[in-house]
Amino acid sequence: MAEVILENICKTYGNNFNAIDHLNLSVEDGEFLILVGPSGCGKSTALRMIAGLEDITSGSLRIGGIDVVDMPPKDRDIAMVFQSYALYPHMTVFENIGFSMRLAGKPKAERKKRVDEIAKTLQLTSLLDSKPANLSGGQRQRVAMGRAMVREPAAFLMDEPLSNLDAKLRVQMRAEITSLQKQLGVTTIYVTHDQTEAMTMGDRVAVLKGGVLQQVDTPKRLYESPVNAFVAGFIGSPSMNLFEATLTGDDLISGTFAVRLQDEAFIRRPGLRSYAGRKVVFGIRPEHLYDSSLESGRKYQTIPAKVTSIEELGSEHIVHLNIDAVRVDSGDPDAVEDFGRASNAVAKFEPVSTVRSGSEIQLGLDDVKLHFFDPETHLAI
Amino acid sequence: MRKRNSGKDKLITVALHIALAAGLFFAAFPIYWMLSSSFKSNTEIFALPPTILPKAFTLEAYAAILGDPVKLRFFFNSYFVAGAVTVLTVLIALLAAYGFSRFNFRGKGSLNTLIISTQTIPPITLLIPFFGLVVSYGIFDTYVALILTYLVFTLPYAILLMTGYLNTLPRDLDEAVAVDGGTSWTALWRVIVPISLPGIVATSVYTFLLCWNEFLFALTLTKSTSMRTVPIGIQLLMGQHAFEWNQMMAMSVLGSLPLLLIYLVAQRFFLAGMTAGSVK
Ligand SMILES: Nc1ncnc2c1ncn2[C@@H]1O[C@H](COP(=O)(O)OP(=O)(O)O)[C@@H](O)[C@H]1O
Ligand SMILES: [Mg+2]
Repeated sequence: MAEVILENICKTYGNNFNAIDHLNLSVEDGEFLILVGPSGCGKSTALRMIAGLEDITSGSLRIGGIDVVDMPPKDRDIAMVFQSYALYPHMTVFENIGFSMRLAGKPKAERKKRVDEIAKTLQLTSLLDSKPANLSGGQRQRVAMGRAMVREPAAFLMDEPLSNLDAKLRVQMRAEITSLQKQLGVTTIYVTHDQTEAMTMGDRVAVLKGGVLQQVDTPKRLYESPVNAFVAGFIGSPSMNLFEATLTGDDLISGTFAVRLQDEAFIRRPGLRSYAGRKVVFGIRPEHLYDSSLESGRKYQTIPAKVTSIEELGSEHIVHLNIDAVRVDSGDPDAVEDFGRASNAVAKFEPVSTVRSGSEIQLGLDDVKLHFFDPETHLAI
Repeated sequence: MRKRNSGKDKLITVALHIALAAGLFFAAFPIYWMLSSSFKSNTEIFALPPTILPKAFTLEAYAAILGDPVKLRFFFNSYFVAGAVTVLTVLIALLAAYGFSRFNFRGKGSLNTLIISTQTIPPITLLIPFFGLVVSYGIFDTYVALILTYLVFTLPYAILLMTGYLNTLPRDLDEAVAVDGGTSWTALWRVIVPISLPGIVATSVYTFLLCWNEFLFALTLTKSTSMRTVPIGIQLLMGQHAFEWNQMMAMSVLGSLPLLLIYLVAQRFFLAGMTAGSVK
């Protein structure tokens, strides 16, 4: 068990591509840290540098207080779960899990005891003699976990370990890994591009974009106070709605509507006043938009909107809308571009809502939950 | 599916079958003739008109070969040389291929090109230079001469073949070994080699056949009867006094048997799926 500390880590690939740019991150002993970001942002690169599978171009990396920059993977006291699992196809589950102990020259009896213990934790006991080819996806995933656990490493590194599972199994394994990590208390760095995994699994979440660290915080704080428009858009599902507007006095004005801001909004954000008379980006999460014809939405000020389509999910309605404002792109390359010409906003309504596709509605908006960003830098105000 | 009802289609099918039958006859008849002749007496072979089936079935040709230590030595030589070359080729090709497949080093590209370019040189043009080399190294008429020479011909292709095979194996496996505490050497022998059996078998079969059938270099680089291989042995039966056709055919049959066996055994290794379950 140990802390993992990255200081000014950079990675430049052979083709002069800067995959990681001055990454600073410290993962506490026993912490479950999620490294999240859109695909191609350098998550795997960062993880592989920690594992020692990729050279570190510059910077320092300490695991358990030891500088490991020049150490090969085997000396770093880490275990890794690969996205592909990378199970040894010719070995049984027992041999797969026990392989590292065998390389370390541990006697057979000790190996057997330890592997049996782990197999029990992971419910693999009846499969110990099977080959990977005869296992289901979830079972292979567990063997990969077992192979990492057997080493009792200083840190676990996991690269999108659930991405090959179907949605249902993914939810189950998400919970299993989380509770396993709590139980073992081993420092864990978990890479994913799935913001749901990021929000539900980790103690803290590090958001990466284009090789640059954006924010490291608890899921709650990331959700409540994103440092910039990218994090705001990336965290949360569906994504936060981002629009351009002009701040005039206490009003946010866009097209034909105005949103009146309360004094508190300016007190909480001293910088906001300086945008008076200028453009500003404001953001509102779909769950903070309301159907004003319902009891729950009655108390909020409203703006006019046109309903373009509705996804009824049972527990909630995802409502696609068009409002008179210019949508701002958060810069997430993975964002599903479902905003055709017709729709530029998404709201989450209670399932009792009776709004119909094509109708003009008054959209309730909880102004206390607004986020503000600089239109140039996209930094939070 | 479209129904085949036109007469033209039927005609084409019939013509195709006739062509295939002719092709089969063309390919199979020499083999049949070899088998049939090996069970005849030498006098029957010279009979006119020739007999399709042996009139008097006899094993005398086989007895003559299997009972003659000189001729058995041809078989031993062939096995030994082909076996040694196969083992060496597979070992060296594996190591080279692992390097090409998994490491980046200076000159990798040019080295690869060099290896491919050796394949464009017709072996016969190398006969005289090799003869000169072998004599000057003092290894003329030895196993070493044959083994080294054959390696020159088998290695380039074997390296390309193995590199191609190793490239299909996920690198994650090597990295998993690295994380599990092993070196590249461990990864190669404990994981890559065991799951490379199809590639290794393919390389071995190719190498063994090439050596087993080789005639020209074996003829040139050896001299004494005790160093001769099977193909030369067959030719030696065309003696000064008589053509021992039945023995030549029997020796050909005996010489082909190992190849047949190798094919049968190797076939099951060519089945895909050695890495099934490893990834995804
Ligand atoms: N070996 C490599 N050589 C050059 N570029 C690479 C290499 N590996 C990854 N990259 C590039 O680095 C970026 C980050 O890759 P990666 O860390 O795999 O992203 P992620 O895991 O976040 O999807 C990508 O743009 C990718 O194309
Ligand atoms: Mg990745």
